[in-house]
Amino acid sequence: MSEIRDNLRYTKTHEWVDIRGKRARVGITDHAQKELTDIVFVELPEIGKEVKKGEEVCTIESVKSVEEIYSPLTGKIVAVNEDLADSPEKINKSPYDEGWLFEIEIQNEGEIDELLTPEDYKKIIS
Amino acid sequence: MPRSPLHDLHVELGARFTNFSGHEMPLYYSSIRDEHLTVRRRVGLFDVSHMGNIRIHGKDDAELLSIATVEDARRIDVGMGQYTVILREDGTIIDDVIFLHLEDGFMMVPNAGRDEVVADWLRKVRDEHGLDVEVKNLSREFVILAIQGPKSRETLQKISSIDLSQLKLFSCLRGDFAGIECIVSRTGYTGELGYELQVEADKDVFHLFRSILEAGKDYGIKPIGLGARDSLRLEKCFILACNEFEGGRSPLEANLGFLINWDHDFIGKDALLRQKEEGVKEKLTYLRCVDKGVPRHGYDVEKDGKRIGRVSSGGLSPCLGVGIAMAYVNTEYRKVGDVVDIICRGKRVRAEIVKPPFVGKEC
Repeated sequence: MSEIRDNLRYTKTHEWVDIRGKRARVGITDHAQKELTDIVFVELPEIGKEVKKGEEVCTIESVKSVEEIYSPLTGKIVAVNEDLADSPEKINKSPYDEGWLFEIEIQNEGEIDELLTPEDYKKIIS
Repeated sequence: MPRSPLHDLHVELGARFTNFSGHEMPLYYSSIRDEHLTVRRRVGLFDVSHMGNIRIHGKDDAELLSIATVEDARRIDVGMGQYTVILREDGTIIDDVIFLHLEDGFMMVPNAGRDEVVADWLRKVRDEHGLDVEVKNLSREFVILAIQGPKSRETLQKISSIDLSQLKLFSCLRGDFAGIECIVSRTGYTGELGYELQVEADKDVFHLFRSILEAGKDYGIKPIGLGARDSLRLEKCFILACNEFEGGRSPLEANLGFLINWDHDFIGKDALLRQKEEGVKEKLTYLRCVDKGVPRHGYDVEKDGKRIGRVSSGGLSPCLGVGIAMAYVNTEYRKVGDVVDIICRGKRVRAEIVKPPFVGKEC
């Protein structure tokens, strides 16, 4: 079974979102990393980049495929997980902790309510 | 979608499946990278039943193969096999195949999803040349297993009375494995020591598969999916028909000139002779990334901003930890040591032109 954390929000495209005040940290779910397997390369967004909800922000490549990561919220990229450049496998090993992707400064708090709850996400992947 | 007769066993072993050329086959069981390294360092077991089996036998069997492939099959003794290609009149490749010369005729192994095309072509050639030979497509009636890796011989030796150390590269014979009669050949698609077993699907193939896993237990054997099969062959610069022959390629473009036996007449020979004289515009070229990035099928290759080719197969090498690719590149730009750009999703990734293979014995 894939781990789903109760304190996070989710998207249909398998990103998780950790709301931390005015910022949100984003990564891919345990379910997503299992589907991808063997992540070998991550292309992170540039800090300062303005992104819209649902827009492609980075790509994750596994041995077998390339997957787009979509921004769950509108806002500005304020941090990226630089460790992933040398150790992309951290996403497989620790998708919710060491394998986080980027942080975004939330522009429209109303969008938070549109994110999936853990229960909703559970239904999607079961 | 056709499945392997071993499908239920793969499910039991935790396989994730993929559609490969119209067949639902295991993509991986645990992890592609882990399976890849298992084959390089220990031993792995593949179900490759998606590959075809065409039996060719009768008075003119060797004659048919000599006309329809670039090999003179009349010089291939019983007990030997040959890797070769089948060409159209214009010199482009229909398929790359292995044929084995058994005591009662030949068994050809074409690629997945190509068995009917190849069998029909062979029948057409037979009829046009008035040959006396039967061509039977047995693809659905056979299971093919590949046992590959440095410990493959020790693994298989445990369940067979044949002395496998006597089986030379590309040789073949019939023998018992786990009490089941198989055609065994010392062939494979990984660049490692390895064997392939062809066995009738109505035999106890579950027992055979399980017996091989049991025999290889002490060596760390694992079942291996098509994901690792692809990365293993790419590191050794082996051709994948659906990638490297896409759009019609001749063996001269695909660097398979070494397969051509020019001393006999075969379909496509005139076209190849012409090509040889005029030279080809593009040739398969081997690129090793200098920058981080993963080249993939269809990406453009550029030199100083000018498009000079296109990636036919690419990926990240589990042994080297860098991106590697095979690409058809304009022959004016194929100098080993030169650095070119592969355009990976809009980004320039520098890659050095290298000699094949990407991975030797060092993994």
